[in-house]
Amino acid sequence: MPNILEIRNLSKDYGDFKLKSVSFDLPKGTIMGLIGPNGAGKTTVIKLILNLVRKDAGAIRIFGLDNLADEAAVKSRIGFVHDTPLFYERLTLKSIKAQVAPFYKNWDENLFQRLLREFALPPRQIFARLSRGMKMKFALALALSHEADLILLDEPTSGLDPVFRRELLAKLSGIIQDENKSILFSTHITSDLERIADYITFIRDGEVVFSSAKDELLANGGVVKGGNDLLTEETAKFFKGLRRREFGFEALTDDSAAVRRRFGENVVIDKVTLEDIMFFMTRGDRRV
Amino acid sequence: MRNLILKDLILHRKFLLLVGGLYGAWMGYFGSRMGSLRVSIFLSTFLSCIIPLMIFTREDKFKAASVSCSLPVTRKQIVLSRYILSWALMLIVYALIVLIAVVIPGGKVKAGDLLSTNAIFLALALLALFFSILMPLLVRFGMVGMFVFLIGMQVLGAVLLFLAARKILPFSLKDILASIGRALASLNAHLGGPGYYLVLFGAMLVLSAASFSLSVFLFQRKDL
Repeated sequence: MPNILEIRNLSKDYGDFKLKSVSFDLPKGTIMGLIGPNGAGKTTVIKLILNLVRKDAGAIRIFGLDNLADEAAVKSRIGFVHDTPLFYERLTLKSIKAQVAPFYKNWDENLFQRLLREFALPPRQIFARLSRGMKMKFALALALSHEADLILLDEPTSGLDPVFRRELLAKLSGIIQDENKSILFSTHITSDLERIADYITFIRDGEVVFSSAKDELLANGGVVKGGNDLLTEETAKFFKGLRRREFGFEALTDDSAAVRRRFGENVVIDKVTLEDIMFFMTRGDRRV
Repeated sequence: MRNLILKDLILHRKFLLLVGGLYGAWMGYFGSRMGSLRVSIFLSTFLSCIIPLMIFTREDKFKAASVSCSLPVTRKQIVLSRYILSWALMLIVYALIVLIAVVIPGGKVKAGDLLSTNAIFLALALLALFFSILMPLLVRFGMVGMFVFLIGMQVLGAVLLFLAARKILPFSLKDILASIGRALASLNAHLGGPGYYLVLFGAMLVLSAASFSLSVFLFQRKDL
């Protein structure tokens, strides 16, 4: 499967925060979830893709083109939603659309009008008077109305009610069905990704910890629970992160089968969720 | 390019009509009542330059730059569109000022003087000078930076005048200004009218091109 987005050794130094040599690929026709704790660098990656911040090193290729050398051509095929939707506050939704639409050759006015109705957005409403959730919906309507091949969503579901979130996820799944479009989706709400993501990229402290197929991660991984007496220097190597408690430990593994072979029935292995992965990778310890 | 210019023009149309129109009319009226043609042109061109710059500070105010830069355009195109739009607006506002000054009776500045080739080239040169200096500052430091620079220049001017009045300065401000005037007059005398204006026009173009290149350089390095 060809890649729609290729990121290689991307670095950015803000002084108090560094994005360190980030690399990952987003295959065509898939959804990738970008997860990580606050301040991990997720928004910086999305901003670098859109050239909103200047990279210090590395390369970004989108649709096989360099994101800087072919900036306008690349961006014409990208739909974006920023974490804080910022437009000219005093304009109506209709006026904002009138400013944005002419920049896109493939602008689909009928689709935009349909999305406005679907999202219950009044075209004559002043942008500043919308709630955060409604602003996010409007940004989504703009992002989805020009047949973008790559959709970049930075925390798009924050501020949205659960009903709309579910509808949105279904819509995003529908978008990639033609297998030509891809979505990069940064979020804290990992349950959203469990529903729709094909790949998960986990970023922590500006570094990619892993970038893997979601099904593989969830199928192979597990949360291991057992007595503290089982923890030794040798057994700790099975775990990506662990929490020791008075009556036993909890640990994350990316190879449940190996843990089962090593510990037998002395441990309980629960199914892992993306939230578990994020928790153990962020807060978990590897020391015994 | 056209979309970018139209976007800024439509976004700020009310501001431009109201503030640009009112200030233009105000400056035209009071400028025509000033005794000095040069001072009148100096203030009129400065005001004409500030009007377009003010519309770009509104993007800072609404923090909407990240949306503009996410659209399918390059930062160079954004800067170029702003230079083109600004020059168009500066010329329109200055023309409005001249029109008001000429039409309203009772002015001290004569219509013939304001519309002379010298006055027009002086106005164009001052517009180029003000805009070429202020635009890169606005791009890099935003509205606050631009006003800090302007206030700083005023403070510097006041200090220099104070020191000159006390004869503390090792040089004479009047002499410097007079020598610039003499140099321009000498250039005019040597080259003749058309040649002189051509050189002045070339200098304006070079200054504007340098300012544009600097603005692009700064804007491309600005993190949003």
